[in-house]
Amino acid sequence: MAGNTRTWTEAHVRRLFWRAGFGPTPREVEHWTRAGRERTIAYVVHGPRGGASLLGARPTVRGRPIDPLNEYGHDVLWWLDRMVRSTWPLQEKLTLFWHDHFATRDQDTPLMLRQNRMLRTYGMGSFQRLLRQVTRDPAMQLFLSLADSHKESPNENYGRELMELFTLGDGYTERDIREASRALTGWRVSRRDGQVSGTWFDRERHDEGAKAILGQRGRFGTEDVLRIVVERPRHAPFLVTKLWDFFVSEPIDAASKRELVRTYRRSGLRILPVVEGILRHRALYARLDAPDMVKSPLVYLAGILRMTRKPIANDSFTWLLANMGQVPFRPPSVAGWDWGPTWMTSGTIRARLDAANMLIGWGRPAVLEVPDEAGKPDLTPTQQVDLALSALGDPWISAATRNILTNVAAHYFDDLTKPWQQDEEKVARAAMLQRTLRNLLLSGPDAHLH
Amino acid sequence: MPRDPFKKGCEEFRSIRRPTLNPEMSRRQVLLSGLGLGLSLYGTKAMTLERVLESAQAQAAAAPEAPILVNVFLPGGCDLLSTLTPLWKVGPLSDVRRTLGSVETPPLGSTGLGLHASLSEGLDGGVRGLFDAGKIGFLPGIDYANPDLSHFNSRGFWETGIVSPKTGPGWLGRWLDVAGAADNPLQGLTLGGGLSPTLVSAKAPVASLGSPRDARLQFAGTWGTGAEKAAEAWARLADAAPSSLPGPASSARAARLARTVAERLAPYAQQGDGPDPLAPPIAYPEDNDLGTKLSRAAALLALPLGVRIVTVEADGDYDTHDDQPGELATALSGLSQALAAFQADIEMRGIAHRVLTFVWSEFGRRVESNESQGTDHGAGGIAWVQGLRARSGVLTDYPDIGALDDHGNLAVTVDFRRVYASLLEGWLGTPADAVLPGAASFGRVQLVA
Repeated sequence: MAGNTRTWTEAHVRRLFWRAGFGPTPREVEHWTRAGRERTIAYVVHGPRGGASLLGARPTVRGRPIDPLNEYGHDVLWWLDRMVRSTWPLQEKLTLFWHDHFATRDQDTPLMLRQNRMLRTYGMGSFQRLLRQVTRDPAMQLFLSLADSHKESPNENYGRELMELFTLGDGYTERDIREASRALTGWRVSRRDGQVSGTWFDRERHDEGAKAILGQRGRFGTEDVLRIVVERPRHAPFLVTKLWDFFVSEPIDAASKRELVRTYRRSGLRILPVVEGILRHRALYARLDAPDMVKSPLVYLAGILRMTRKPIANDSFTWLLANMGQVPFRPPSVAGWDWGPTWMTSGTIRARLDAANMLIGWGRPAVLEVPDEAGKPDLTPTQQVDLALSALGDPWISAATRNILTNVAAHYFDDLTKPWQQDEEKVARAAMLQRTLRNLLLSGPDAHLH
Repeated sequence: MPRDPFKKGCEEFRSIRRPTLNPEMSRRQVLLSGLGLGLSLYGTKAMTLERVLESAQAQAAAAPEAPILVNVFLPGGCDLLSTLTPLWKVGPLSDVRRTLGSVETPPLGSTGLGLHASLSEGLDGGVRGLFDAGKIGFLPGIDYANPDLSHFNSRGFWETGIVSPKTGPGWLGRWLDVAGAADNPLQGLTLGGGLSPTLVSAKAPVASLGSPRDARLQFAGTWGTGAEKAAEAWARLADAAPSSLPGPASSARAARLARTVAERLAPYAQQGDGPDPLAPPIAYPEDNDLGTKLSRAAALLALPLGVRIVTVEADGDYDTHDDQPGELATALSGLSQALAAFQADIEMRGIAHRVLTFVWSEFGRRVESNESQGTDHGAGGIAWVQGLRARSGVLTDYPDIGALDDHGNLAVTVDFRRVYASLLEGWLGTPADAVLPGAASFGRVQLVA
């Protein structure tokens, strides 16, 4: 059913917190349901007063703090931790959006982290400013060969992706790419102590001649190219649609697109007003009783830890994310990841089951472990399911799932013979039942939808 | 404490290595024996070879001699001119490609072409050795009219077999829709993370697989009947509440497929630190992901699992905008070693007559080099077919370096859809127009001897 924009229920809060972030805790659901629609959306969009901070204690892995610069895979843990603990999840979600949009990989970790900070700083303001930062960013320049593109032989890599993936999607010719690439020549990286420390513009290497780009002629340089592409009529609908698809499962309709394009243009190509428009849109609240958008691996994993308020306690997440198909800082290509139903394959759902296993029992430590002596054999089947749900921060499940799990609980002790049923074997079996229920809640088909 | 969930399978696995096979074997035992055959090439002592060969014959009789296509994608757009070089044009080429320096491309038989030196690396002379042995047919100049130089557009066209911006099932997924089984996800298998877009189907089940080593579904901290109940519950959840919406449908479908894959591959999973049942009979290159995937593929193809299509993506970046001499040499070297090992592997396993390997990339590269010792996106790329039954030689016209298009790109001499249509009809035995729109208009090229 379509979401009614006047009512504001727990389901609305859950939906908003999932799509704009990484899921709510039960306390957040309770608090923001009472606070009402306007206050909740304002909080989600603009964050807490004074900006974002990180909740709770800094996690440790193998007894030491996360060390993104020096430990392999810790760059992944470092960002995942921000997704789990940030008081302004939308900021991290949009940083992820931009990391996908301006996908960069294969560069030294300090450069990737520097780009990540840049995307976080500029990711909610003016798109043109963001694009300017991205174009000057050393990791991006090295990845798409903009650094060292020389007037004698312009490299077309950046010019092509600028139009195809970053701003327009369509409506340009090979000639436009060639001419834009000429205008983008002259960039070089600077080095300090052998490490890349930034980028600079070398006039000697820049093609000063006249260029014809997308119907305009002039002695264009980098700033001109960036201005010309975002001024194209195609740009606003392109970007608005990309943002919409990140938050909403239904394709955007023509009227909503027009409205959001207007919002974007009137704000001077600012990002946050468009995002707010999407987060207020009734389409975001469609099918509240049956979520239909597939969580990306990062959203899935950060969501479990956020809802259970558990820290990142070991370094397995890096390879688990690889098996699930989404390692931050290592997008598959400049086009970023394929979002949506393609996240789910026989292999990737297996990896999500492995993640649940790691949290419940295999990890050292396993933060969601259920010790044998914690079993509660006297609970009714319904109470067993409720106990498992509350231990996981009350995730959504369908009525069919609840039925199946209640049935599992009802028959979990069937094979125990009478004498066994009184002693600790039954307590241990009840603990095993809780592990089973929690594992299925974390890895079964419902767990991947939001 | 959790007990070893592999224990049961492990004991059964060992039992078939003792000389006590029951002549009336269950299908499962037959499968396990087929596996034993793979191991016997190491000369395993505990196995009675006679018995195993007997069961292998039974298995061969049961399994049809269906042809298999292995699809190897070289991501990024592989450069034709440096990979398979027209030796009669080396002079003019080095003028327009001066930033690349000289590329070592020793002559390839009497073709007048030179093959990149890195393609000689690997078992028995690598890809060059395979060509010399008559097992490779090169397809220079492959592309399509008015080539789109975007990776994503061009790759999408190749993946779907349709030159159109619309997305949809892949060409091999559509083939399985037409000619595949309704209940065997292993018939189309991507080795590696996600499913290859070429294998996305409308209805035929397909699968992706990291490694059968970890195929079995496990639930931490459960064992005995508790573990069985967990697995049953997973199956019920997967079957419950089918949805027509793409998101929920994909999630439920993945859960169902994971269970099916687990059931089919459980017998081949490595048991803890025990011997790897899928270990290859020959040495594959080390630190070579493509080699590892192909070695797994070879082992699975040798088993009666009904695998018809395997897709893998090569390592290495063929998008050589920068430092092409170094990058291309590294990529081709790894490729050559992996492909040579794979071919030797399937020949040793006796299945090579059923396997044709098709190697492709989304486009070629610009004739003129850039200042970064690289080349930009271009047209007229390279592909090849490999196998005992591949027609050997250079099967398409080499593009004329003297007749470039308006953008300085090579002319296209063969449309990739002509090659697809020929693979469908000449190898897979399905009329191409059932899979490829407009198949009649593309003509055919003989790829199979």
